[in-house]
Amino acid sequence: MTDQIREQLSALLDGELPRDEMGLLMRRLDRDPELRRSFGTYALIGETLRAPGGRIASQSFAARVSAAIDAPQRGVAATPAPAAPATVSVWRRPAVRTALAAGVATAAVFVFRPWQDTQPQVASVQPAPTSAYSFASSPTPAQNQRLASYMVAHSQYSTPMVRRNVLTSLLASDPGITRASYEIEAP
Amino acid sequence: MMRPAAWFVAGLLIAAPASAQETAQDARAWLERMSEALATRNYDGLFTHSTPGQAESMRIVHRVEKGRSYERLVSLDGSGREVVRTRDEVHAYLPDRKVVLVEPRRDEGSLLKALPTPGPTLDRYYDLSSRQGKKLLGRDIVIIDVRPKDRYRYGYRLWLDEATAMPVRSVVGDEGGRQIEQILFTRLEMKEKISAKDVEPAVDANGFQWVRTDRKLAAMPQLPANNGLRPLRVPPGFRLVASRLQVMPGSPMPAQHLIFSDGIAAISVFIEPGPPTGGPRPPEASRMGSANAYSTSVHGHLVTAIGEVPAGTVREIANSVAPMPPLPSQAPASAMPAASANTP
Repeated sequence: MTDQIREQLSALLDGELPRDEMGLLMRRLDRDPELRRSFGTYALIGETLRAPGGRIASQSFAARVSAAIDAPQRGVAATPAPAAPATVSVWRRPAVRTALAAGVATAAVFVFRPWQDTQPQVASVQPAPTSAYSFASSPTPAQNQRLASYMVAHSQYSTPMVRRNVLTSLLASDPGITRASYEIEAP
Repeated sequence: MMRPAAWFVAGLLIAAPASAQETAQDARAWLERMSEALATRNYDGLFTHSTPGQAESMRIVHRVEKGRSYERLVSLDGSGREVVRTRDEVHAYLPDRKVVLVEPRRDEGSLLKALPTPGPTLDRYYDLSSRQGKKLLGRDIVIIDVRPKDRYRYGYRLWLDEATAMPVRSVVGDEGGRQIEQILFTRLEMKEKISAKDVEPAVDANGFQWVRTDRKLAAMPQLPANNGLRPLRVPPGFRLVASRLQVMPGSPMPAQHLIFSDGIAAISVFIEPGPPTGGPRPPEASRMGSANAYSTSVHGHLVTAIGEVPAGTVREIANSVAPMPPLPSQAPASAMPAASANTP
């Protein structure tokens, strides 16, 4: 692994990799098992560094990151997309399998800075609309404003207590809405 | 300080009531009283809003005049943002962006009209309990615990003033029981009368951009969803309580806004036609305080689910949006097959 790729992996885990470098790196990750292992290790290191008091928040994190990257190859479209309303058990289906069941051709991996120091490092597998990988960088002011508009509209339909919480959250979100992400659920 | 994960557990140990059913009924009655007090009393309070690693002081002033409520919520440090509920509209002043977001009020006409209230089925999805607490702000306190029975919703612990049912402290816990948000009042005055000036914004909005939701469309009655797109799965207990069309700022086409509620938590689903124009770029997750949002793209529509529920809940709902399957017979507008399909 070259220094350049190592730096790219670090930047990816810090949420600082430029979007134009993202596609190439993700394709490389797709092809290269050794790189995937390194990615998992880096993610674990990052998680350890960011966890409160240096505690490892989730020891299986790296394995799950690697598993998630492997996931598209394992089971693309193995199950047809559910057409009818699902049952509770389907509702409970883990996200990774849901994405695969929906016939998604590929998956994008998002890794962001933790939104709070006390949160574990997190990653997510989400269905991508095209074969290209995508990466979410910092939200633009327009994106934040749209979400803020949603929040204000949404607050109108909450109980008084929850409405107060929602509006308070809107006031406290400074400088903007924080990009969050999800921990991968084991398939 | 109590460890974050411990607060629900501690509540379980301390509560252990003689009759769980009795305290559940008692808790439900307190929740109803609290909702009524928050909406109908005159009050002026200072509180600290805290999330892990962050705390901010705020002031809330709530005024009731001739059956109408007015409110000002202002950040006293940090962003300087304010949310003001006027007679007909809600104005969110965001000085850091020089923007005012404007949304028509939906509770026009009646103070408590159509507000979601804790219904009789609440205890299917939450464990409710009540007990005496230690004094706060010199007031006798009753503590209400609202613990979720599954991972689709948050839990709440509320410290209510026994005399007025006003919450003087509230904590939101996530699906793992960890504290994610707290509101703690440092001063709370219940007043006979509050002047109109006290609910006026202090921020100088000169030169700000006023971003309005289209009022005419927002007032329209229920209309079919865009292309019949609907969430096909919602968690047990969440029911469709409202549906409306509105033009979101920056978008030329009306968005469908569907609101689901379990009696405590509400989830909004926005379905906008066309590619995102300045909105979230799907698929994407966001968080504001304890509220989560998830956006995705479905059949050329931008779909965003948002609510004060765990991140996984809004993600699952947004990902389940699809054209509604044809029904054998016309169902009532408020009946949502997917919503009721998951309700035991």
